[in-house]
Amino acid sequence: MGRLRRSRTHHAKRDVHRASRTRVRTRDLDQIQSIDLDPKNRAALEAQQLDFDKPGLAQHYCVECAKYFEADAALRAHWRSKVHKRRCKALKEPAYTIEESERAAGLGREGKRPSTTTAIQEDIPS
Amino acid sequence: MRIDKCYFCSKSVYPGHGTAFVRNDAKVFRFCTSKCHKNFKMKRNPRKVRWTKAFRKAAGKEMTIDSTIEFEKRRNVPVRYDRELVQTTVKAMKRISEIKQRREHAFWKNRMAASREKLKASRRKKLEAKEAKATSIRLVEPMAVESPEREKVREKIKVSAKSRSALIPGEGRSMGMDID
Repeated sequence: MGRLRRSRTHHAKRDVHRASRTRVRTRDLDQIQSIDLDPKNRAALEAQQLDFDKPGLAQHYCVECAKYFEADAALRAHWRSKVHKRRCKALKEPAYTIEESERAAGLGREGKRPSTTTAIQEDIPS
Repeated sequence: MRIDKCYFCSKSVYPGHGTAFVRNDAKVFRFCTSKCHKNFKMKRNPRKVRWTKAFRKAAGKEMTIDSTIEFEKRRNVPVRYDRELVQTTVKAMKRISEIKQRREHAFWKNRMAASREKLKASRRKKLEAKEAKATSIRLVEPMAVESPEREKVREKIKVSAKSRSALIPGEGRSMGMDID
């Protein structure tokens, strides 16, 4: 794993608007964390059916980076890469959510409704 | 009608302002400005972008635990209009914001006091490092030989303003021909 080059990587491709279209949107970190990394879902994603529209017939998928690869060798090389390791590190800490943005704004969530009846019912058996 | 919070910067988004993005799992992301929307599209983490509220809260630059923050809440149960209630609420809001402002100022002062000490320490350290470097270099540097002859200073030739008179042709150092 070498150092990724930082200069001369743009090739004058500055069409960021095209790259940020909704139809090319990839999965967000919170989705990956809560859904994809779950062992059951992970297994399903890693053993997908042949899909002729996806790169490499959807046979080589990196769950963490939400990316399809053309061949097994490419996927293995990706696992060793800095991009993948950086992504794994980002996934380790809790993802940013809408709730957090509201909390930062000072907007709290009201807890469950003051349902006294359920509280009493819970208390009796215990 | 509801005042939402921006997903990226946590500012209030008033009705008729900003944009909303609905992800394919039906989660609604609201943005106050195109700036915030663009930053979201770039997949930036608001916790790491310094101008967002999330950063300021996460980095301990603002109060996070305080009773004055607890009042604003998302309430999904509508309250029947009551004149008395509205009046008391408005009064309470003013009072609470007063208290909040005071507490925020105190928090800021406390934070600044701590940071000032840190800044002073870092400055002292920097100065010490600089001095140490200067002394070490002086040992290596060859002694400079003082030589007064080498200094060549161009001397200015003074031309007295008095002599430069238009009435006297030769004395004014004019380029004109000499007349005898």
